[in-house]
Amino acid sequence: MGSCIISTLHTQSSNSGFSGVAASAWTRAEKIRTAISFAVIAALLLTAFILSSNVSNSTAPISLLIGMSLGLLLERGRFCFFCIFRDGIEDKNTTPFISVLVAIATGSIGYALIFGQFLPDTSTDRLPPVAHIGPVSWVLAVAAFAFGIGMALSGACISGHLYRLGQGYLRAIPALIGTLIGFVFAFLTWNWLYLNAISNAPTIWLPHYVGYSGALLITLAALLGLAFFAIRKGVNSDPIRKAPAASLSLSATLKSLITDRWSPIATGAIVGVVGTIAYLRVEPLGVTRQLSTTARTFMDAQGIGSDTLVGLDRMAGCIAVVAETITNNGWLVIGLVGTSFAAAFAGGRFKFSKLTAKNSSTALIGGILLGWGSMTSLGCTIGVLLSGTQAFALSGWLFFAFVFLGSYVGIKLKFHTTG
Amino acid sequence: MFTSKKVFAGAVVAALISTVGIFPAEAAPKNQARAVAQPDWLEQNLDNPKVRIIEVSTEPGIYERGHIKNAVKFVWHTDLVDTVNRDIINAKNFSKLVQKAGISDDTTVVLYGDKNNWFAAWGAWIFNIYGQKDVRVLDGGRVKWEKDGRALTTAVPTFAAGNFAVSKGDKSLRATLINDVLPIAKKRVKADLIDIRSADEYNGKVFAPAGFQELAVRAGHIPGAINIPWGLNVNSDGTFKTVAELKKLYADKGVDGKQNIITYCRIGERSSLTWFVLSEILGYNVKNYDGSWTEYGNSVGVPIVNNAGTIWGAA
Repeated sequence: MGSCIISTLHTQSSNSGFSGVAASAWTRAEKIRTAISFAVIAALLLTAFILSSNVSNSTAPISLLIGMSLGLLLERGRFCFFCIFRDGIEDKNTTPFISVLVAIATGSIGYALIFGQFLPDTSTDRLPPVAHIGPVSWVLAVAAFAFGIGMALSGACISGHLYRLGQGYLRAIPALIGTLIGFVFAFLTWNWLYLNAISNAPTIWLPHYVGYSGALLITLAALLGLAFFAIRKGVNSDPIRKAPAASLSLSATLKSLITDRWSPIATGAIVGVVGTIAYLRVEPLGVTRQLSTTARTFMDAQGIGSDTLVGLDRMAGCIAVVAETITNNGWLVIGLVGTSFAAAFAGGRFKFSKLTAKNSSTALIGGILLGWGSMTSLGCTIGVLLSGTQAFALSGWLFFAFVFLGSYVGIKLKFHTTG
Repeated sequence: MFTSKKVFAGAVVAALISTVGIFPAEAAPKNQARAVAQPDWLEQNLDNPKVRIIEVSTEPGIYERGHIKNAVKFVWHTDLVDTVNRDIINAKNFSKLVQKAGISDDTTVVLYGDKNNWFAAWGAWIFNIYGQKDVRVLDGGRVKWEKDGRALTTAVPTFAAGNFAVSKGDKSLRATLINDVLPIAKKRVKADLIDIRSADEYNGKVFAPAGFQELAVRAGHIPGAINIPWGLNVNSDGTFKTVAELKKLYADKGVDGKQNIITYCRIGERSSLTWFVLSEILGYNVKNYDGSWTEYGNSVGVPIVNNAGTIWGAA
């Protein structure tokens, strides 16, 4: 069901797990595909190596590596926010939803550790540097809701489109073009929204009130509550993971890595760890900064809109700058798409989807909503939802609530079936 | 002039001597001034309780992601200026900040930062205004330290409060529009006025350097100012030129330290680097004009020189 690849575990060829049988099951075609995938990975690693000799931007190679990890995780663990929401809303299968909660949990523990060192004193008005802690206003709620509708219309969120592009999901192309158009609209509406709502909205950061331990406890309690609710309300027929092979063998290991979908809990946990590493070494995880930078640079060159976006450059988030070169975030996106392709290709999940006039136009319109919503909220499901909640920002939780609501409404109105 | 300040015990004295005069033959000194801390020396004094390292960088998160061991972070935008009055930080708040960093009167303060040490040099200027005796700037700043592959840490140190006693504020280091700059501009007083901005800013072709907002409605420079861009003070790796090179650089432009000097830029932070060079390396009498072009260029009824003749807002 649906267009999300490997949406359920039982679609995959059944493997008894007996290693003797599985060894011969690795066909010649699989071997060739895997070799090509390794070549792609090797090319990306070589790029990272070349980047590391460039002293002017020491964080570019690590951004590329972080993007590669993320691409692998999103593809192998099917960490697609829209697919996850839809499984829960339509099929009452809430197992994938748990991976989001686990990602926030592990990430918030990591963030608490780093914050404690970056900003030992939480009682001042200072915020930890560059963490995605945004102002909480009605604009954020509206933008998140629009983003949720955009997800339903286009079939994925922005990170979802990026990794599914690597799977041959062609609708991602009109959706990402729509996203760029959406950024342009967002830049045109930004100054008015900022002056009328965002500039005097409070920026609420939990540790400022209850310290790091308090904020972590509240976050983990909220996640437990959500997990309890999701498990109770869900019809979770999917097994958490396939039964492991009776004994360790090369082919069974390869199969579980390359073909079988990764467990939602393991995927979520590693996404949280990657988020922590990204914040420690470069900036909070996010996938829209390069895209919005591209849109802003285009506007700057064409002279569209105002060249001043009031207040924007003072805020933390996936914020666009005018730049001619590939930013750190650009390297992250390249790593994400490339590795997702490698993972999908090796696992036999790379397949060009059918592109029609109808499903392209819904993807384009959905993309515009994704672009407008993410720029106006200063990030997307990765940048605000994950990196924000992990950083104990109320803005992250508000985005979470309204993006879910938007997806819910979109699904109930059957927007996603137009694709 | 250095001997009176050599009051430290043990390692500090040894270290001082090594930077002041006695150099190992193979390590030719890049700069012989005491106020310039060499990275090698600093690396040997990271744990010296009489040395306190301060990072003043402006890129968000750069200190947090890794700084020189035992370095304390000062935030230029809020710690070293008075944001309400457009002023330098007042004595009371500076005293609190500095004592909390574990600095006493006999502490050697070493500042470094990103962006060519501009904001670190502002920090050094403030420390000097408020009477700290031994203030140095790390040669090459953060960039050189990283390029050399020297260690960084994310651990934030805490120190027992120091007994730094703040002075009233040395007015001889700071120029104001009314008392210092206007009399020179109107040729009532003779002094060397040094504009350290780019030639295009000096000549009035642009209102602000690329990437910065126009914060003054006039372009050009203060009458009588000579243009010596800040970048001439340093080598390509960001380290200061030698004393002899610096002396010649300024002498060639007619600045020999025989009369008082005033430095300015746009907001006074780049010019504090030139202040540091002229005052702390060459030992001249120098005031930094922190109002700089954003005050002077906007002031009503004061003359300017605008070679390019640009008029703000006019087509």
